[in-house]
Amino acid sequence: MSKESATVRIWKPSEKLPPRIKKLRDEYFSFYDRDYFRNEVRAYTTGMPGDPVWSPHNWGVVPELFPFMKGMFDALRALAEEVKVPDDFWKHTIAYRRGLFFKIVLEKYLPVKILEQELIVGSYFNTALSKVLRPDEQKEWYKREFRWYKKLEFLNDVGIGNTGAIPGHIIPNYPKVLKMGMKGIVEYIESEIEKETDKEKIEFLQSMILSLESAKMLSERYSWEARKLAQEEKDPQRKEELEEIARITAKVPWEPAETFWEALQSIWITHMLVMAAESYPGAGLSHGRFDQYMYPYYKKDIEEGRITKEFARELLMAYWIKHNYVYDYQGRVGQNQGINSGFGQLMTLSGKGPNGEDMTNELTWLIFDVIEDMNLLEPKPNIRVHKNTPEPVLKRITSMVTKTQGSPFLINFDEQAIKGLLWQGMPEEEVWDYAPVGCLENTFQGKDRSGTVDVNINLLKAIELTLFNGRDIRTGKRIGLKTGDPRKFKTFEEFKQAFVKQLKYIIDKLLELAMEADAIRAKFEPIPYLSAIVDGCIEKRKDVTAGGPVYNFITVEGIGLANTADSLTAAKKLVFEEKKISMDELLYHIQNNFEGREGEKIRQILINKAPKYGNDNDEADAMARFVSQLWTKYVFTKKSPTTGRRFRGGYLSWNYWIAYAPAVSATPDGRRRGTFLANAIGPIDGMAKKGPTAEALSVGKLGLETAPNGDSHTMNFSPAMLRDEEHVEKMANFLRTYNEKGGTALQINIIDADTLREAQKHPEDYQNLLVRITGYNAYFVMLGKEMQDEIIARESHKL
Amino acid sequence: MKLLQENRISYNTDENYAMIFNIERFSTEDGPGIRTTVFFKGCPLKCPWCHNPESIDRNPQLVWYSVRCIATMDCIKACKENALQLTPEGMYIDRIKCTACGDCVEACPSGALELIGEYKSVEEIFDEVMRDNSFYKNSEGGVTFGGGEPLLQYYPLTRLAMMFKEAGVHTALDTTAFTAKKILNMVLPYIDLVLLDLKQMDPELHIKYTGVPNKTILENAKYISQVHKKKIWVRTPVIPGYTDQDENIEAVAKFIKENLPTCERYDLLAFNNTCKDKYDRLGIKFELADTPLMRRGRMQQLLDLAVRKGIPTTYWTGTVRD
Repeated sequence: MSKESATVRIWKPSEKLPPRIKKLRDEYFSFYDRDYFRNEVRAYTTGMPGDPVWSPHNWGVVPELFPFMKGMFDALRALAEEVKVPDDFWKHTIAYRRGLFFKIVLEKYLPVKILEQELIVGSYFNTALSKVLRPDEQKEWYKREFRWYKKLEFLNDVGIGNTGAIPGHIIPNYPKVLKMGMKGIVEYIESEIEKETDKEKIEFLQSMILSLESAKMLSERYSWEARKLAQEEKDPQRKEELEEIARITAKVPWEPAETFWEALQSIWITHMLVMAAESYPGAGLSHGRFDQYMYPYYKKDIEEGRITKEFARELLMAYWIKHNYVYDYQGRVGQNQGINSGFGQLMTLSGKGPNGEDMTNELTWLIFDVIEDMNLLEPKPNIRVHKNTPEPVLKRITSMVTKTQGSPFLINFDEQAIKGLLWQGMPEEEVWDYAPVGCLENTFQGKDRSGTVDVNINLLKAIELTLFNGRDIRTGKRIGLKTGDPRKFKTFEEFKQAFVKQLKYIIDKLLELAMEADAIRAKFEPIPYLSAIVDGCIEKRKDVTAGGPVYNFITVEGIGLANTADSLTAAKKLVFEEKKISMDELLYHIQNNFEGREGEKIRQILINKAPKYGNDNDEADAMARFVSQLWTKYVFTKKSPTTGRRFRGGYLSWNYWIAYAPAVSATPDGRRRGTFLANAIGPIDGMAKKGPTAEALSVGKLGLETAPNGDSHTMNFSPAMLRDEEHVEKMANFLRTYNEKGGTALQINIIDADTLREAQKHPEDYQNLLVRITGYNAYFVMLGKEMQDEIIARESHKL
Repeated sequence: MKLLQENRISYNTDENYAMIFNIERFSTEDGPGIRTTVFFKGCPLKCPWCHNPESIDRNPQLVWYSVRCIATMDCIKACKENALQLTPEGMYIDRIKCTACGDCVEACPSGALELIGEYKSVEEIFDEVMRDNSFYKNSEGGVTFGGGEPLLQYYPLTRLAMMFKEAGVHTALDTTAFTAKKILNMVLPYIDLVLLDLKQMDPELHIKYTGVPNKTILENAKYISQVHKKKIWVRTPVIPGYTDQDENIEAVAKFIKENLPTCERYDLLAFNNTCKDKYDRLGIKFELADTPLMRRGRMQQLLDLAVRKGIPTTYWTGTVRD
């Protein structure tokens, strides 16, 4: 029974980093000292009066930005550099204009920079590109965009949720670029143009060619730069490297990659230009199963003696660092509630093959070392675990969790994830090859835009609306349906039905806005560059924003599941069944936020005398299942009319479980207004009292296949739990069982509250301390005080 | 409950119900793999260092948590025996009047009162433990019967052990081994692993500290190993001034080496003082409240001693100071 209180050894970069890597890593972290290079946002305009270079709908799911929205919109427009466009520019379709504009910017405007000792090059990619709209188009865009934005602000203010049409969150077909080269894709598009007669469609196809040529152009500029540097270089070894970089950048991504180094360089340029093309740095733009498609290049080079394992490691490390420059975008924005840590260029590792076999290879193992040695935020690894994951892999994962406080990656569970994708209708023969984007959002690779963070619905708001007949009690406004005075309800069933109506109603309200954002983007903001490297767009002649990919969804993420379920359970048991509390009393005390002695007494009864989700209690868990199934099945019946994208459910809940805390009244789960909601599919803080096995089983009972996006679950373990080999093995077996019985994705924090309090007091000593928030990790000392306190509270309720 | 008085010890002979004070899931310190530990209430030993003081008395006990109390006085109104009184120093529980009926627990809105110990049917215990069966399977874990001394309730214990055996669940028994051979004969056929406490090898010190002689314990230990041939993990709580002498650890190791051929490992459990609050809540004086924790280096020394005496599979765990 006794447990050792191990002092936590904070994860740090390895002492054994190659000197070059140490230099490049330190350089990245020295934002304010890098006067020679900062990857801050660069805006480019056509010079057309009123030309917007920034879309609110790209940021609709980041409510903490709303107060700055107008300012950013205007500032970027004012700062934008004017790009000279040809005279016939405005005759073309929007897609063509965007392709051409991109090409001009990459050819003549976007600077190139090779940092000292770099091996993988490509530096500037944070952009704010002109919307290239003609005055008539601009007028419609402004009208629709800002009318939409106003409605969004309202739904966000009252705590119903938020939505947008968010870039990123996709896995482009990088293996295709590696194999065919962009040249091959261009040849294919040209052959399609020959078959096409519709002028607009031809222009769309041409816009893709223009975009791919832009990448070639930019890569060649890096080649020239490398050649120039090589000529000036005194150190013979570096000179040789620069010459190799010059050779490689002249070749890829235009030509197929043949070596490991070429493949890494090819992906990096391709990848960073997606961010440039979408004017969206990083969030969710993901690599897919990187260890799988990169392995042949690695193996061949090692076998043919072209590189050593040590050099491959160094290349990977150099490649790793590049991804972190997305954060330069907000280098000056400073501390914010976690958003500065949440980008998530996700890299999928391990996982199963077509016949259930394990796909871990030597490159996977090498990447594990790189992750552990680098101690960086990006790219974010997601490790797929399945039934046949070998013991050594599982133990390696667990020991990495231990060494790093659990933060550097997320574990995805194949069997549960695949159940959801099959439920969603994905073909059985392809489903083993899925990969997550962003944090844990399951999609297909290279042909699927699932809009995984596009809609976020606050389920708990429906409880407030049910209790007060559709009114938001803070404003007194009726924002929901009239479902009747609950004091007149005779049975819980009546109460439940009212809740169902309210929930469906607010979902409808939010989806309306999601559909409008989707429609505006599809009409005005095609991304031909990305469309060219996502399967389906060429064949369908449709942009990636307009339903072009083979698979298209818009994901709705649920917030506050546990609070909603526990509120219903408490009402059922204490008000309708045992009549310990009358509805009148309940409403009175909720309106008073459980103030006063009597209020506190009622609150304690609500907390202590009704079962709570997360304890493997069948009654409470059945209610959570009911709520989860209800809304996820409901959204799945809806489609966005312009693009045909179907809505599907999931639980990510980002930082909204904090953001919406003040917007929801006190609730029958005993929560006061302002207390944070439960995170994603997790139980309410402090309410899971039966330990991690019980919590995992509760999660498993939700029937998460109806939330096929994937479902964030954070668990905290004390460092003592993983103090030795024996306990690491117990943890590994816990994970194996979680894969059978639990949810789709798990993130683990191994830290104690005392260490976090120390870090709060002495941030200077804890610069490297990473913690998991909800599907993403963040440097603890960079978080706002409020968020830090929340995490400390979470740790204090340790299992 | 049917009680059997034997050798001045009360046994629970109702085979359908056990007096349990906790069922701990995801127990990782009481045997191999992921386990659930069923804690039996009541113990024949009275060790002053006991870190589960609520396990000693075989009757349910009422405890009060000051931090949870919001002073609604509902408990006092609910108590038929007038056993409760809220004083400036906290809740006074008149333990003579209190019948542990649980009315006050039911009445308390905030969970500030708790009844430790309850009769649970063996079926109920079985069902709760079986909920984590899939975790036991993957981790080669199972159920551990702990306490207290589970053998004091050998009737329900035997039934439970049989049920788990039949269900294919690994069973471990955490015991003082202060019992009768016929009881061991009854229970052990359904037990896979015995976690055996050997606290103090000096007979006189053993009586002094625990209230019972260690002769029976050592005899039984041999019997478990040599006659029943059960796998054993020996555990010694290392308590400053009580059991932490070199001679004691050496003697335990020597005893294992010479007498317990089935012993697989030896665990040294460092003294734990986090149970102080539990003593306070139960209204029992904790004699070791001010005893400092063991030093890390000292634990390592003792471990080395045991290894040198021929037990290479010795481990130590617990909270220590540097």
